Amino acid sequence: METTELLKKVRKIEIKTRGLSSQVFSGEYHSVFKGKGMAFSEVREYQYGDDIRSIDWNVTARFNNPFVKIFEEERELTVMLLVDISSSADFGTTGQTKRDLITELAAVLSFSAIQNNDKVGLILFSDKIEMFIPPKKGKKHILRIIRELLNFEPQNTGTSIRTGLEYFMSVIKKRSISFLLSDFIDRDYENALKIASRKHDMIGIRIYDKRETTIPSVGLFQVKDAETGRMQWIDTSSSAYRNALENWWKESEHYMNEVFSKRGVDFVKIQNGEDYVKPLMHLFKKRAKRR
Amino acid sequence: MSGKKRLEIEMNWFTDIQFASRWYFWMFLIFIPLIVWYIWGRKIHNPDLKISTTQPFAAVMPSARVWLRHSTFILRLLALTAFIIALARPQSTRSGQDITIEGIDIVMAMDISGSMLAEDFKPNRLESAKQVASEFIDGRPEDRIGLVIFSGESFTQCPLTTDHAFIKNLFPEIKSGMIDDGTSIGMGLSNAVNRLRNSEAKSKVIILLTDGVNNMGSIAPLTAAEIAKLFGIRVYTIGVGKEGTAPYPFQTPFGVRYDQIEVKIDEALLKEISDLTGGQYFRATSENSLREIYREIDMMEKSKINITEFRKPTEEFLPFAILGLLILLLDLALRFTVFKSLP
Repeated sequence: METTELLKKVRKIEIKTRGLSSQVFSGEYHSVFKGKGMAFSEVREYQYGDDIRSIDWNVTARFNNPFVKIFEEERELTVMLLVDISSSADFGTTGQTKRDLITELAAVLSFSAIQNNDKVGLILFSDKIEMFIPPKKGKKHILRIIRELLNFEPQNTGTSIRTGLEYFMSVIKKRSISFLLSDFIDRDYENALKIASRKHDMIGIRIYDKRETTIPSVGLFQVKDAETGRMQWIDTSSSAYRNALENWWKESEHYMNEVFSKRGVDFVKIQNGEDYVKPLMHLFKKRAKRR
Repeated sequence: MSGKKRLEIEMNWFTDIQFASRWYFWMFLIFIPLIVWYIWGRKIHNPDLKISTTQPFAAVMPSARVWLRHSTFILRLLALTAFIIALARPQSTRSGQDITIEGIDIVMAMDISGSMLAEDFKPNRLESAKQVASEFIDGRPEDRIGLVIFSGESFTQCPLTTDHAFIKNLFPEIKSGMIDDGTSIGMGLSNAVNRLRNSEAKSKVIILLTDGVNNMGSIAPLTAAEIAKLFGIRVYTIGVGKEGTAPYPFQTPFGVRYDQIEVKIDEALLKEISDLTGGQYFRATSENSLREIYREIDMMEKSKINITEFRKPTEEFLPFAILGLLILLLDLALRFTVFKSLP
């Protein structure tokens, strides 16, 4: 991708997602992802309407005027984006690929994070770690993350969520809020998720395409596995194939539900081409309620 | 009857087909790259749909359609085969024989007067004449044959026909006494001539069989013969009856009695009739000699058979071209219906 084109794209995503994060998600994000506690920042003169409980009596006595203590929430949160960029993400039937959606989501979350003065880091993984961007603050950093998400070409094609999680555990020692963005066409990450969720606030975001759940009867065609390159002719007119896909999808959803619910890890499913604001809001509200 | 008949040897598609442009068969060589292309190129060039994972389909038994998708390729090869064959100009060189048979028209004029019941022939003259005539008809499958009977009057039993079975079926019905007794050779002959009048056959023949003397009828035999001559009809005359006397049955109140009655045949007249028309007169004194006479007539009136060996190359590309087109259409239809494939 050419640089100018890339920058244009980055800009486009920025405009689209920053609006979302500052308007739609600002409050939600802020309240859902809280820091450890409150830290005293300063005292100022009492104004009408201030909570009388926050009056600092020592200072009031000294100045003979009412003063209140101002606390600030201790944020300095670290937000980690664990993004699966295996080849299976290069699939989409609604004009955009799953990877486009992932990029957009990552951008929304990143902008939400910097608005709250949080640090954002990125791990791109396939079946190995493709890239690690350590958590940092700043808009420039976010734009870099978006650029990488847009432009990065993974070396490997496979998926190993386990590898991603293990690496994440090894590099991020401090507690963080971690979004795991993947299509979750993978198994065997149960244990890694369990360990990660103990230390970090994990949130799974499953991106899927409608055509991964069902296919219409459109005749014969040859399909190629994006990850393994395996070729196969499938006959969509035959219900055997269609049922196989539907069953596989149900089964995979079931597995994911099982794994995440058992660990108490929140997760949300977002279909490619559908509005992602609603599911995200839903997720945030759910978390807010729980608190 | 005159007609051409082509006795063709049943065409054998494997031995009698020849190809005028044999070199077109080299085009079959194109199959090699086609097949190679199909097998190899399919892997490289066949459009495929990249999907996230084929895991769901890994365990599905390939449906018949998945296997049969190759059939469209095979159909196309078949169509190509048919077209190449059509291009090679297949010709069925039927090395058959063109047999031109000019059948002749024969009218048999048979005397059924009472005297025909004389039993000097076994069982009697009439029956044995019918028998021999029937055999004669069998021997002449190409000819049109008609049957006229006469005694005191004349009567067309059957006009000229090629349906010999029909004539033979009529024989049992012919009995003496069907019409007024007597012997009217002239009437019988003229009736037979009348039957042949409009015939377009090259050769027209009347076989006149009688055992008596003309004693009735309004047309004299020789007049009838003249008319026959006019129409170019040959008349073979056969006189039936032993020399001398013949036992003749009479119905009496006491049963059938046999009288020896002298055989009177107007041989001179018969001879004259035949001479006049270019035929021949025969005298049959027994059943065997009658049979012999018919054989002789059979020999003389041989149908003209021209056997021309011919090698007529007929272009046979059309069925192949049509076949190829049909296969192509079928292939097309299949590809857009059953084996519709994406993208």
